Amino acid sequence: MTVAMAAVLAVVVGSLISCAETRASEKKVSLTPGPEVEELEQSMSYEEYQKRYKEVFGTATEEMAEDGNPAELALDDGLDLVNAVAGSKGLSCASCHGKDGVKLKGIAATYPKYDPAIKGIATVALQINRCREGNMGAEPFKYESYDQLVITMYVKSLSNGVPIHVSIDGPARPFYDKGKVYYFKRQGQFNFSCAVCHVKYAGYMARTNLISNNKHHGDHWPAYRLKWGKTGSMQRRFRGCLKNMRAERPAFQSEIFRDLELYLTSIANGEPVQVPGLRM
Amino acid sequence: MPKGVGKIRIRLPKHIAKGEVIPVKALITHPMETGLRKNKKTGKIIPAFYINDVRVYYGGELVTHADWSIAVSANPFMTCYVKADKAAPLKVVWKDIKGSVYEKTVQIQPE
Repeated sequence: MTVAMAAVLAVVVGSLISCAETRASEKKVSLTPGPEVEELEQSMSYEEYQKRYKEVFGTATEEMAEDGNPAELALDDGLDLVNAVAGSKGLSCASCHGKDGVKLKGIAATYPKYDPAIKGIATVALQINRCREGNMGAEPFKYESYDQLVITMYVKSLSNGVPIHVSIDGPARPFYDKGKVYYFKRQGQFNFSCAVCHVKYAGYMARTNLISNNKHHGDHWPAYRLKWGKTGSMQRRFRGCLKNMRAERPAFQSEIFRDLELYLTSIANGEPVQVPGLRM
Repeated sequence: MPKGVGKIRIRLPKHIAKGEVIPVKALITHPMETGLRKNKKTGKIIPAFYINDVRVYYGGELVTHADWSIAVSANPFMTCYVKADKAAPLKVVWKDIKGSVYEKTVQIQPE
């Protein structure tokens, strides 16, 4: 009798402990500024995730990238745009940044970064448009238009192979924190946050999709995506994810998206830039 | 023509032995609109715009041809095999339903 009771007790205590363990993995932390967010723990190491990726997709994506990335064919157009004279002042990007933009080599690896002129984070796409408006007197590109994508892609591809080193200290810190809060904040009809999928359940299956680890989310945009059948920016991908979450979708290059881009790129710090990417 | 359409890359093996059967990998950027999709904002049908004829010539001689239709994906990639028995240009020609012709020639140089 006592033995059976002890066994029941042991089971109850065991389940309580396992409960406590799941709670511990969702510890609450407070980031300044902003509300309390639940910071989730990584589901698995990146090596483990890579193993799972190989099991699900094999080498299909690598073979596809070897056969040719359609976005690479558009890089020539980006090169032409860099050398093209535009605007009222008769300047082109090449007038300041050298022919074919050679002086921009390695610069994109430090973006997004804090810009005192706008008191916020500047991404490459935003910087190109600000440069066009302010220094060249030209019309800014419409975001996600063909011209805007190819010139961003070309400028970023000049830094290919350079390790990403975005600064998250000093003046950039509050914006980094804002991006991080947004990443971990639950929102939308389904009450998801970015981190629920890409941190807590990264490497598990969502129906037939493998949920990706966020380590390499920041290093390859703009990328060609098979689902879109065309090239798109990181922020278009954000909006796609938010739509799936049934959440409100901010506009392109809005403040919160730039902060989020800084947060995601800082995760990829140390990884080489590889633009344009090819993704499913 | 919309921007970024008709850009071509043709890839051949680095080293070609004479008489070897080699893969020719060709990629062209094209939207391949089916004519069945609607513009979500205006509700109007996006007109059909796809490649319907592909021909591969090797030294002026037709090697293969294909009739494509709306089922082929955007930015189509194709592979065909050629027996490299002579040093001659290899030409791939794509034609779409609006009458545009895209072509690129590469030289096959067996060692």
